[in-house]
Amino acid sequence: MHRRRWLIHVVLRALSHRKGRTVLLLAVLAMASSLATALGIVSYSMEKRVAEEVRKYGANLIIVPDSARLDVGSGGLNFGVISEPTYLQQRQVEDALAKSALKAERSFHLRGALHHKDADIMVEGVNFSDVRRLFPWWQLTGNWPTAGEVVVGKDLADRLKLKAGDIMECAGKAQTMRLRISGIVSSGGEEDGLLFLALSDLQRALGLEGQLSLIRLMVTAGGETLKKSAASLQMLLPTAKVNEVRQTARTSEGLLAKVKLLMLMVTAVVLISAGSSVAGTMSTTVLERSKEIGLMKAIGGTRWEVMLIFCGEAAMLGVLGGVAGYLFGSVIAQFITRTVFAASAEFVPWFLFVSLGISLFLALLGSLGPMVSVFKLDPVRSLRGE
Amino acid sequence: MAIVYKMIPHILASFGIALVMFRGFSGRRSVVALTSIAGFVAGAAGAVVLFRVYRGTIPFGVIKTALGSGFLILWGVAVGVMYRSTGRGTAFIGGERFVDSSYYAGICTVISSMVAGAICMSRLPVADSSVLKVAVFVFGGGVLACGVVFAAKILEKRLPAAVTVTQSGMLAAVMAFLLMSSSSTLRLDLFSPLSMKVMKGIHDFVHQFMESILIPDHLFVQPVVWKYIGYLFGKGVGFWGGMIIWFTPVLLIVLANQLERLPSVAHVRQGAQRRKLIFAAIEARRFRLVIPMFSVIVFAAAAYQSSFPSVEYWDPKPVPVTANQAGEIFIPKQGEINLEDGKLHKFLFKQGGREAKFFVLMTPAGKLTVVLDACAICKPDGYGQAEGSVICYYCITLIPLETVGKPGGCNPVPISFTEKADGVIIDGMTLVNTWGATVQSTARVKEGGK
Amino acid sequence: MSSAFCPVKRERLLRMAENIIETNGLTRNYGDICALKPLDLQIPEGEWLSVMGHSGSGKSTLMNLVGGLDRPSAGSLQVGGKDLLALNEDGLARFRREFVGIIFQQHHLVPYLTAVENVMMAQYFHSVPDEAEARHALERVGLGHRLKNRPGELSGGEQQRVCIARAIINSPKLLLGDEPTGNLDHKSTVMVMELLKELRAEERFTVVMVTHNQEVAGWGDRTIYLDDGVLVREERMR
Repeated sequence: MHRRRWLIHVVLRALSHRKGRTVLLLAVLAMASSLATALGIVSYSMEKRVAEEVRKYGANLIIVPDSARLDVGSGGLNFGVISEPTYLQQRQVEDALAKSALKAERSFHLRGALHHKDADIMVEGVNFSDVRRLFPWWQLTGNWPTAGEVVVGKDLADRLKLKAGDIMECAGKAQTMRLRISGIVSSGGEEDGLLFLALSDLQRALGLEGQLSLIRLMVTAGGETLKKSAASLQMLLPTAKVNEVRQTARTSEGLLAKVKLLMLMVTAVVLISAGSSVAGTMSTTVLERSKEIGLMKAIGGTRWEVMLIFCGEAAMLGVLGGVAGYLFGSVIAQFITRTVFAASAEFVPWFLFVSLGISLFLALLGSLGPMVSVFKLDPVRSLRGE
Repeated sequence: MAIVYKMIPHILASFGIALVMFRGFSGRRSVVALTSIAGFVAGAAGAVVLFRVYRGTIPFGVIKTALGSGFLILWGVAVGVMYRSTGRGTAFIGGERFVDSSYYAGICTVISSMVAGAICMSRLPVADSSVLKVAVFVFGGGVLACGVVFAAKILEKRLPAAVTVTQSGMLAAVMAFLLMSSSSTLRLDLFSPLSMKVMKGIHDFVHQFMESILIPDHLFVQPVVWKYIGYLFGKGVGFWGGMIIWFTPVLLIVLANQLERLPSVAHVRQGAQRRKLIFAAIEARRFRLVIPMFSVIVFAAAAYQSSFPSVEYWDPKPVPVTANQAGEIFIPKQGEINLEDGKLHKFLFKQGGREAKFFVLMTPAGKLTVVLDACAICKPDGYGQAEGSVICYYCITLIPLETVGKPGGCNPVPISFTEKADGVIIDGMTLVNTWGATVQSTARVKEGGK
Repeated sequence: MSSAFCPVKRERLLRMAENIIETNGLTRNYGDICALKPLDLQIPEGEWLSVMGHSGSGKSTLMNLVGGLDRPSAGSLQVGGKDLLALNEDGLARFRREFVGIIFQQHHLVPYLTAVENVMMAQYFHSVPDEAEARHALERVGLGHRLKNRPGELSGGEQQRVCIARAIINSPKLLLGDEPTGNLDHKSTVMVMELLKELRAEERFTVVMVTHNQEVAGWGDRTIYLDDGVLVREERMR
């Protein structure tokens, strides 16, 4: 028989001989590595999700007129009622953007109210081609509008009992329009309560040619670069306010940080207690088996060879515990993300190695002390039963 | 100091080669020591002569050919060893006797240290320096070789006697060290050209295959299939293909060592004696694995060094240029920038929110070329210039200066221009449009349509 | 210096060839207690030597020293031409696995391994495990039907026979017995001793057996009596 196979065989025999202790150690190792794995998977997949969310929300810089107040609610961007409507000049903004040489996708917005059937409804003028590119999560039933057509937010459509194909008549300050509804849009955000029409149409209807109330920019950069871009744009647009949009992600990030901290502390405690419990169990095992160790040395095992057998046991426990910990940890991660974040965790295969590493490290570190005593044990005295 | 720093990988490689040779021909240490030094000096001197007589690519070609044939021989030996390990004997007439002779040891050592010496010299400015300085280089190389060989001899004596090396393992280690040594200079590097060749080969094959057999939008070819075919065009294909070719021989040697049969012990009556013999054979086999395994690591180091070369590139900051009323960009040949100095000169052109980066370069043939700072395949990470070539930062492909200005592959995309006596004229619109088309298509491919 | 100028050394070399064990002033102290007073002992190759004495007379100490399990405090000790004092701990372990087989009073079998596996353990430390050979060794000691039983399922005599099989598996030159029959009844004792005699006839190993049983000592060629660490009497059987 091959030496290595024999070693594994002996290790398995020894482990199955002391089932209770083996199960206990396996449970401890699996628990420690599963918690660490769960922590890793949760933060990995949630961080990815938050990053995705940031990207999904499209704009990471917005430009609003200086006097406008920016109100941020949870889950989306709500703009508080502008007491004294002020506007940005479209041309001025375009010039500034060209001058700043910022690589950014842009979308121009004009917010206003139109009169429809004795009531005012909130309307937003946009370039639909920009919208389609920048806000891919808008779900549209029907078609994107062509000239003279609009899309209606889902909530608004429900309220006014509108459906695709209907014609609605809206009156602005400057002119009245007959608009055909080409589709119903739903985004899960404030867009659901708005009517969208082409920017130039709204500008004409409100008599605000060349005016904008909001510009959303998607700069392909993050962190410091983004701050710098914002600052440089601000210099070029003294009448406007350039804001970074991180708020949407901030709530999730805060929650994630708290959960991570909690798990980190729990994991640290568990790792320490697991390590000491492994050390304790292993040293009793070695004490109990000192005769066996003495025998192995007496029949010709060198100190290293005998230690290898016992290290093999620890390593075997570590591997088994690591695999179990990975499986269990994935389940825990799934549970946490489902209950806390209402999302599903990702399946991350390479965390198996993290889990294995932690479990092996704990098992070997815990048996470091016992291994030294195995190494030093005197065969004559241990065989005599001292 | 810079020269000493540059020489470190080569000194290490020479040291490794000498070490392995001493262990491989353990009965003939003095022959190995002598031929190592002689071979190194001869190789260095030969390289100096080559570099001084033929300027340009020929000397590099010669060294590269030597390295390449060494690698091919390694492949052949690896396959042969593998074949032998399956139990089928291969006997060469008189081969065994020759391998045991000191001629064989001498020839092997001379050849490998000659290549090592030539690689060393290729790192030094031997072509342009004075004769005296070159003589100092060769002499210094010889002295260094002496030191390295004796250091190796001392270390070899301290290595455990159990670590033995087979002929195939020795070849693998020597090739590994030579390739590691050569991979530190771009012009001698074999791994990047290898992966480039693999990539090109696969591209060509797929093109041929698709055009002759599969028509795009063929009835049986689902979009999914096209997606998988698309993988064949990724950067990974060349890299992984190159990796396979790079590591297979040494891994075959490792495998052959493990498959080697244990000695027959049926004739030994005593069980304990029998087991002892088997154990000794297994131990010996395990120790024979040390050098090939180490070679695997050295091969990996060579591939790493080739993928992330530590070379400084000539990469000037793009100079902004503007177009005149007619939409033409004029760049003067002389002035702040000398277009005809053989270096690439980068320019940045902006028009209406759009921009294009390009560079102007005088090829060694004396022709001015204007090309985009981007190619049709890769993400537009741009190019830098290194000895005798420009390099695409994204895929680390070397493009010889001679072929800059020709379209296709990872060559920078050429731009049509008019050459006047005092400068070049480029149409701004064409430039911006070509840039847009190139960058858009490559960006879409690379980002997977996101 | 060549041996021609050193007749004493040469004579010792010659003697070594026939004596498997040679001690010169062999001493072992445990702290202040002197377990073995300086002892000169020669054991020729192939001899069966019984060592008798009361508890604490130093007989186990002698056996441990000879088997390379323990190190002497003073004196010289040559076993099979090897100077055991020159070996370090791992060197002694290597010496034990190739040269010495040990039979213990308490058998000391690994409890979680079967009879065959216990024998294979000795093979593993020596070289490579070989199950067929281990099985054959157990068949030789008459345990062909108990191969897959754990030590707990075997009687004392059977356990001792497993221990013997393990001791002889690596064809040692020297077999040490530390009261091998101390825990056995008369019938088992006779069986074990018969077995040892048979095996010795085949394998031609040297036996050093510690016992306090006069009858067991009678199986040997020569008996030495230790008292308080001193060799007090020597008796040749035939």
